[in-house]
Amino acid sequence: MALAFDEYGRPFIILREQESKSRLRGLDAQKSNIAAGVAVSRILRTSLGPKGMDKMLQSPDGDITITNDGATILEQMDVDNQIGKLMVELSRSQDYEIGDGTTGVVVMAGALLEQAERLLERGIHPIRVAEGFEISSRIAVDHLEQISHKFDFSATNIEPLVQTCMTTLSSKIVNRCKRSLAEIAVKGVMAVADLERKDVNLDLIKVEGKVGGKLEDTELIYGIIVDKDMSHPQMPKQIEDAKIAILTCPFEPPKPKTKHKVDIDTVEKFQTLREQERKYFDDMVQRCKDVGATLVICQWGFDDEANHLLMHRNLPAVRWVGGVELELIAIATGGRIVPRFQELTPEKLGKAGLVREKAFGTTKDRMLYIEHCANSRAVTVFIRGGNKMMIEETKRSIHDALCVARNLIRNNSIVYGGGAAEISCSIAVEAAADKYPGVEQYAIRAFADALDSVPMALAENSGLQPIETLSAVKAQQIKEKNPCCGIDCNDAGTNDMREQNVFETLIGKQQQILLATQVVKMILKIDDVISPSEY
Amino acid sequence: MASMMQPQIILLKEGTDTSQGKPQLISNINACMAVADVVRTTLGPRGMDKLIHDDKGNTTISNDGATIMKLLDVVHPAAKILVDIAKSQDSEVGDGTTTVVLLAGEFLKEAKPFIEDGVHPQNLIRSYRIASFMVDFLNSYPCSILHMNIYDLGAIEKIKELAVSIEGKSSDEKRSLLAKCAATTLSSKLIGGEKEFFASMVVDAVFAIGNDDRLNMIGIKKVPGGTMRDSFLVNGVAFKKTFSYAGFEQQPKKFLNPKILLLNIELELKSEKENAEIRLSDPLQYQSIVDAEWNIIYDKLDKCVQSGAKIVLSRLAIGDLATQYFADRDIFCAGRVAEDDLHRVAAATGGTVQTSVNNVIDEILGSCEVFEEKQVGGERFNIFSGCPSGQTATIVLRGGADQFIEEAERSLHDAIMIVRRAMKNSTVVAGGGAIDMELSRYLWQHARNIAGKSQLFINSYAKALEVIPRQLCDNAGFDATDVLNKLRQKHALAAGWSFAIYFKNKNKKSFSSEGALYGVDINTGGISDSFANFVWEPAVVKINAINAATEAACLILSVDETVKNPKSESAQGEAAGGMGRGRGGGMRGGRGRGMRRR
Repeated sequence: MALAFDEYGRPFIILREQESKSRLRGLDAQKSNIAAGVAVSRILRTSLGPKGMDKMLQSPDGDITITNDGATILEQMDVDNQIGKLMVELSRSQDYEIGDGTTGVVVMAGALLEQAERLLERGIHPIRVAEGFEISSRIAVDHLEQISHKFDFSATNIEPLVQTCMTTLSSKIVNRCKRSLAEIAVKGVMAVADLERKDVNLDLIKVEGKVGGKLEDTELIYGIIVDKDMSHPQMPKQIEDAKIAILTCPFEPPKPKTKHKVDIDTVEKFQTLREQERKYFDDMVQRCKDVGATLVICQWGFDDEANHLLMHRNLPAVRWVGGVELELIAIATGGRIVPRFQELTPEKLGKAGLVREKAFGTTKDRMLYIEHCANSRAVTVFIRGGNKMMIEETKRSIHDALCVARNLIRNNSIVYGGGAAEISCSIAVEAAADKYPGVEQYAIRAFADALDSVPMALAENSGLQPIETLSAVKAQQIKEKNPCCGIDCNDAGTNDMREQNVFETLIGKQQQILLATQVVKMILKIDDVISPSEY
Repeated sequence: MASMMQPQIILLKEGTDTSQGKPQLISNINACMAVADVVRTTLGPRGMDKLIHDDKGNTTISNDGATIMKLLDVVHPAAKILVDIAKSQDSEVGDGTTTVVLLAGEFLKEAKPFIEDGVHPQNLIRSYRIASFMVDFLNSYPCSILHMNIYDLGAIEKIKELAVSIEGKSSDEKRSLLAKCAATTLSSKLIGGEKEFFASMVVDAVFAIGNDDRLNMIGIKKVPGGTMRDSFLVNGVAFKKTFSYAGFEQQPKKFLNPKILLLNIELELKSEKENAEIRLSDPLQYQSIVDAEWNIIYDKLDKCVQSGAKIVLSRLAIGDLATQYFADRDIFCAGRVAEDDLHRVAAATGGTVQTSVNNVIDEILGSCEVFEEKQVGGERFNIFSGCPSGQTATIVLRGGADQFIEEAERSLHDAIMIVRRAMKNSTVVAGGGAIDMELSRYLWQHARNIAGKSQLFINSYAKALEVIPRQLCDNAGFDATDVLNKLRQKHALAAGWSFAIYFKNKNKKSFSSEGALYGVDINTGGISDSFANFVWEPAVVKINAINAATEAACLILSVDETVKNPKSESAQGEAAGGMGRGRGGGMRGGRGRGMRRR
């Protein structure tokens, strides 16, 4: 920051630590910000599309993540640059709101920034550029609305949903069995969806993974899986028509919360105490038996004495079940969580058709399946895979697919993927540009060019000639007036995405365009960066 | 030796930095100008934002003058005054913080050549005060040309239409007029693209709280994700789902006309008294102690249920036991609700926060039409709407990045303040530099009647006022000189008779022909009638800005000596002298953190 000098020629300090602060102003600030934003988006560019590549990220403590999901990559990259952080948040917002398209939104924002830089070099005021972008984003969003299709689905006809989920999954590592995963995702969402209110609570879908087996073994369970086993190895491994007592109190003698001391001065007293303790255990188990429970699931542990007693009384039990799982079990089985033995009543028991313990391969790991529940509105997707990284990536992919299915239930409009929607918007925006007087026209044209960069990246990643392919598809779209023409990434022989069944959700696309524009505006509006040079 | 050298008399502690006289005055002015330069580019709808990154790694992107000044961490004693006036403008009227700094900087800049030429600062101060007083007079005089009563304008429309339902009509009109004011403030912000959307939201929010002075009755909640158009206003209270225990999901999530119990106690199984100890001599009594503890909590829960409330909120924790107890009885509960949210719920639903569950009577229970837990982006929100007293509103902001939402919040705060001000103080002036040009013209004209050098000073004050339109042009990349000359010409035309016309033919045409209302047209780079284009600001913003800027300028001009005490400012003094930077730097850094927290 420029130093000011007083009349004696001494420099004087206006801001704290002025000398160590660095400051960038005007066009320089904008350019450096744009460069940072573009750099981030370049990293993600190669991950776009079905032929996109994955990134391997190593965290400071050595954990390795391999992923194709934009939000995850950016999250793990630990970006330090301020503008870079904005891009990270951009992709996170898309993740929160839509769950899918996190790579596309960053690529879009990067393309817009590149275009903006060119305009700034020509001397166009950054805010005029941003305003032009805003106008065009509105045009594009309206256009998407027009070219979108509504499709019908019902609880029985889930095919369209599966197709759309497959488009999402095709860019992931799991595309080998995208069909079965897409079906799992859609069935899972349909199971928990409230079609009347068009609401889906994804919390009710549990995604659980276990190393081992093949990806094809991944399954959807109408019930809950808990990574726990029976507290005693000799307890039965399978219970049919289970009545489940869900407890949040330990199998222990109760303790008052207030500090207490029991003065024992005679042998008799000691024996009564001992007797009483034993009686507590007895009572507790008896109580469970009395109400008719055939399985006890407990949030806390219980000591060996209780364990033995439970075994003895032939009451299978599971201990140390986490709070969230406990809640899901309660919802699934229609039971109530009971905080105290005294409150246990037959009505509060949950009901499940089948509870079984399943061992995997040669390992001793066992998991507890609770199936055929009274209320099937809680489901579990159980993922198998060769290694941990694979399972983690599958979890993320399933999450994306679940989000897509949820979005379609909320709003059943789709647009065509494979860059078709972007190309169509680009044509519409380009055509609209001529109607705007003033400098904004340039920005609107630039926006159209930026839209082209998504299909361009798709073509590039698929090993096609980007410029040739794009211009051919664009020409085809205009000639045939067909907004479904996109990049043929899988070499299927047709450019018509309708035939290829490549769909994306309308709201996802709209959100991408709006969010990218918003963040680009924010970046363009900054003309002054003040930062401490080192700390 | 001693006789040859005069012994130096040490009056002040060693290391004290003193400078005095004219040079000191000039250097103060320079410092203030440097600070004003920082915020200069943020003015107006084409103003830019600043990204300020502090040494703790927090980043702020802002366009708000007061926020930037605060974050700049100014240490220069004279320049600090500018920070203070920006803050005072922020707390007084909420908007115009950039304007006030810019004006003060410009007043000082105009004063500088006079000081250099040897004018006594007090002369300048006096003239500035007179000028400011005149401006003030002009502003507060009810029949001035520059003013239009909002209600007056409403009245004109009313006369035209001979409306019957005056009350309902005027409220609707007031709403749209106030929205115009809000839109003007918002146009310079990041959310300017959606200014109409947010302006009407702000006006609705302000109307919802009515005449209540408590600004904290408007809650602003931030949820990342979505676009800004997804933001919405809740006519009631909304807050994020609090931490919940197992069993929460089994509670019903929607109620119609529920009764709401507000508590400030813990509903948990815990020891009743700290440090209490129970001694038992008979082991058989053990169970009774356990039971007693359970009974206490059950008793509390039972009382909550018996009160008939369907929703129980507490500022303190509601434990898992209570959660499950309520779930069993189809009651919704939320623990650890933030204090201001709880107060807002209390105000909205007409309930009272209780610190005991004993004697819960119907009067202290709140109620609302609909309660619902809803998904907003990645969060779940508890939303109370249709509240009886209706004295609250919550704006849920959405946006692509955290900083984006932060800035949107600051902008909305400005807009809310403006609308409230405009409601109370119902006069508005034309923005876009029109009012400043008109005041400037008035002063030029007035200065001609003054004999003596005061004439020069008032002229320079008038010139300083032109900085607002000039900066607006500069920021937008227009030729400021060109636009300013056009404006001067327009305003000179209007002189004297425009106001007569306005009051004689009370119709809309007459304003648009008035030169006095012409300001910078940000879209074309020319000039246009700001009033007709609905670029409106409440008069109080301008009055306060001009007063505060003048006060600050006068204050700085009246200082001719600075004594920096080495004890508290030693690091500062040394660094200014250009030595001891290393150690001093560390100390300064340490204190800097302390300062900011204030």
